Amino acid sequence: MQILSLEAILLISLIVISLVIIFVDDLMTAVVVYCAFSFVTMFLYIVMGAPDVAFTEAVIGVLSTIFFVMILKSIKRKTKRKK
Amino acid sequence: MRKAIGIILICAALILPFVFFDVLPAIGDPASAPNSHVSDYYIEHTESIANSPNMVTAVIVDFRAFDTLLETTVMFLAGVCVMIILAGVFKTDKRIIEPRSKKMKKHKKGEPVFRGINKDVTITVLQPIILVYAIYVLFHGEVSLGGGFQAGALIGTVLLLDAMAIPDKRNFPDITKGTSAMVAGIGTFIYALAGILTLVGGGFFLEYEKFPWSVAAAEQHSIGILMVEIGVTLGVAGTIVTIMNAILEKVKFDK
Repeated sequence: MQILSLEAILLISLIVISLVIIFVDDLMTAVVVYCAFSFVTMFLYIVMGAPDVAFTEAVIGVLSTIFFVMILKSIKRKTKRKK
Repeated sequence: MRKAIGIILICAALILPFVFFDVLPAIGDPASAPNSHVSDYYIEHTESIANSPNMVTAVIVDFRAFDTLLETTVMFLAGVCVMIILAGVFKTDKRIIEPRSKKMKKHKKGEPVFRGINKDVTITVLQPIILVYAIYVLFHGEVSLGGGFQAGALIGTVLLLDAMAIPDKRNFPDITKGTSAMVAGIGTFIYALAGILTLVGGGFFLEYEKFPWSVAAAEQHSIGILMVEIGVTLGVAGTIVTIMNAILEKVKFDK
């Protein structure tokens, strides 16, 4: 029962994080929050008993964030708001 | 429009688990459908056949080695595709997203991508620790967590740190785009070579007991797993460095 409630907390935080990724205007913030998404997913894998997958998720989450930040150095950070 | 689609997808993802929650079996239920057919065979025979205490590694690179071969090939092809897309089609005047400013330059070789990173900490602390951990994960992968994929990703991280932080031309392996793609291809080839060697020994493709050298069957499984993991490591590290080099070479940066 305790594990189930921990899972519920992680899943709810995943929903909140994905809402933040949609609604934020700054692309850099979106990328960093996306990194947090993969971090929470990693904890979810550990809770489910798959440490191998959690390890992969941690490494790949950091790597993809680095690639996104590299690309972000060449484009505008703010998305345009529709008037 | 995009946000509306996102909200609809999130709502669907929220509702679907509640609809199907009762149908799903409990985690680790031995009587559920996915656990009752092939899992028992893996649990019984991992120690005796594959000679590997870690069941995940045994399943990935021994019982289902052919799947993993095609996965590695897909990874290699993904790196090559990034290289091709960034080489030609992605013209600056046809960009969907606006460039940051008009003073952007191409990345010069040997310059750091991010200027805020402390290079001393990177060189003396982070890189050696990550590299040692990568090698530990590679050679200890059949006993503990990890394996070829994670080791390759960690080695790729070391080379990424190199390009991000080090300001002069002391990049220790000066890897160009072509070389890294070649390394990824060589890694995939090493994996396939393990299969070809078992064919030479008279077995099926990737049937590790039929390697042409004569040692005990369990040791042959260990050798096969290690060979495959080294191939996967080279493939993943090469792919990551290929993507990094393609980005650095073709995308202009705001200095």
